[in-house]
Amino acid sequence: MKTLKRLFQFISIYATALGLLWSAKIIYGFSDYLIPPPLEVLQVTIQNGPHYVKAVLNTLAVAIAGHMFAIILATAVGLVGRLNTWPGNLTRTAAYNLQAYPIVAVAPIIFLFLGDGLISRLLIAAMICYFPLLLSFIGILAKPVEEVEHFFRITGRINWRLELSIRTFENLDKIITVIVGSGTMALVGTIIAEFLAATNGIGYIIRKALYQSNLAKILIALFLIGLCSSMYLTFIETIGAWIKTRLYGTRSSPYKQI
Amino acid sequence: MQIACRNLHYTYPGADFPVFSNLDWSIEGPGFFSLFGLSGTGKSTLAKLISGELSPGQGEINYPKTRRILYTHNTERIPGWDTVGEHLRSVTPTSKTSLLNHILKDYGIRTYMESRFSGLSMGQKNRINLARYLVQEFDLLIADEVLANVDEPTRNQIIERLKTLFPQKTFLYISHNALEVARFSRTIHVLSHESTASANRIHKTDGLDQEEGTEAPEELVQERVYAILRSAAGTNESRL
Repeated sequence: MKTLKRLFQFISIYATALGLLWSAKIIYGFSDYLIPPPLEVLQVTIQNGPHYVKAVLNTLAVAIAGHMFAIILATAVGLVGRLNTWPGNLTRTAAYNLQAYPIVAVAPIIFLFLGDGLISRLLIAAMICYFPLLLSFIGILAKPVEEVEHFFRITGRINWRLELSIRTFENLDKIITVIVGSGTMALVGTIIAEFLAATNGIGYIIRKALYQSNLAKILIALFLIGLCSSMYLTFIETIGAWIKTRLYGTRSSPYKQI
Repeated sequence: MQIACRNLHYTYPGADFPVFSNLDWSIEGPGFFSLFGLSGTGKSTLAKLISGELSPGQGEINYPKTRRILYTHNTERIPGWDTVGEHLRSVTPTSKTSLLNHILKDYGIRTYMESRFSGLSMGQKNRINLARYLVQEFDLLIADEVLANVDEPTRNQIIERLKTLFPQKTFLYISHNALEVARFSRTIHVLSHESTASANRIHKTDGLDQEEGTEAPEELVQERVYAILRSAAGTNESRL
């Protein structure tokens, strides 16, 4: 239901934008070369549709892999960054300083060293969504939930796993929101990487269409990106809702196993 | 259990004035003691200093290191992933299972065992929180407004039962309710609203130490209440 709602919202916005574009074409008399007519867009869709769908799925796969990699890395580094010892302080300082740097600017260096293959796309996708995730994770994991943790601390039961469980559980909504938000960034990162130098994916298709000044191809690519993005975000939200339901209804406590 | 503070000094980071300066204070248990004072006089700060939650800037807090001090306050919650019953069972040492069952029955908690903490009233939450502390190993339990949201008859019943169940333990009960502390405490330690520089800022007033099944005379209770309130306002002549 949520997927359908999100898809409907996207299609409505996309259709409105197309309508405005074609209205401008009619009002200002733009040429077919600049703004293709609906029939041309339909023809290009029929000719290139399957190929573009493959390309966008390729992009989505890389974005998901990059996103997962970033989540795992941000969790691991966040665990260190929450500590009040020197490694924790160093991690926090480094994270706050590095996140201020635009990662896209580093992308050409990555292509120089790693070539234009899968690894470069994956790395750029992960790097673009990694820092927002890391900063949120450090913030969440470093902040004690005093009213819950106090009992375990004063009775000597607290340990890092319990602390992590409490803080994650208490901030689950925030964590899911950050992960959903960074999902879009992972997709953006992958497309940017493909647009810059890769030889695969929907970003590469847009780059080629740009060189050919073919707006019809770009419009189709944008439509497919929007569809994939909506479905991926809904998928993450569904996973988040499932985790919440499971945790709120769980019959096992993390501290029982300690 | 004896606990004594000597020349205690504490200022919150960033604050202009100390909460305590040169404070000397002590209690000697077992028994039910109270810490009374108007808002902002430093009751919770003193409790946190004694329990080690805060470190004093100067001075010392002495008690046998083999003794265990626990501090609880009324905003505590149990983790949301457990029901009340699951949580209580998981934090109760095996040797205290029978005590837990007694407390569950006496404090009227048994009916909430399958409930989530978040779905309970504040009074129910207060009772559950206190119950989980009572089944821990402790020599001194500092209970900071732990029954603040419980109705008066139930609160009186809980305190009386607590005194019967734990005659060898020391309790330091922090409350704003003068009537309650006058009735049930052995001694009431009143933090007066005066200069923090005073070494004798805490005045001691005898309470009626009412036990389960007894009833302190109303006139006596009223007399103690006035004495406590006078001390809190800093108008009491007799300082101990």
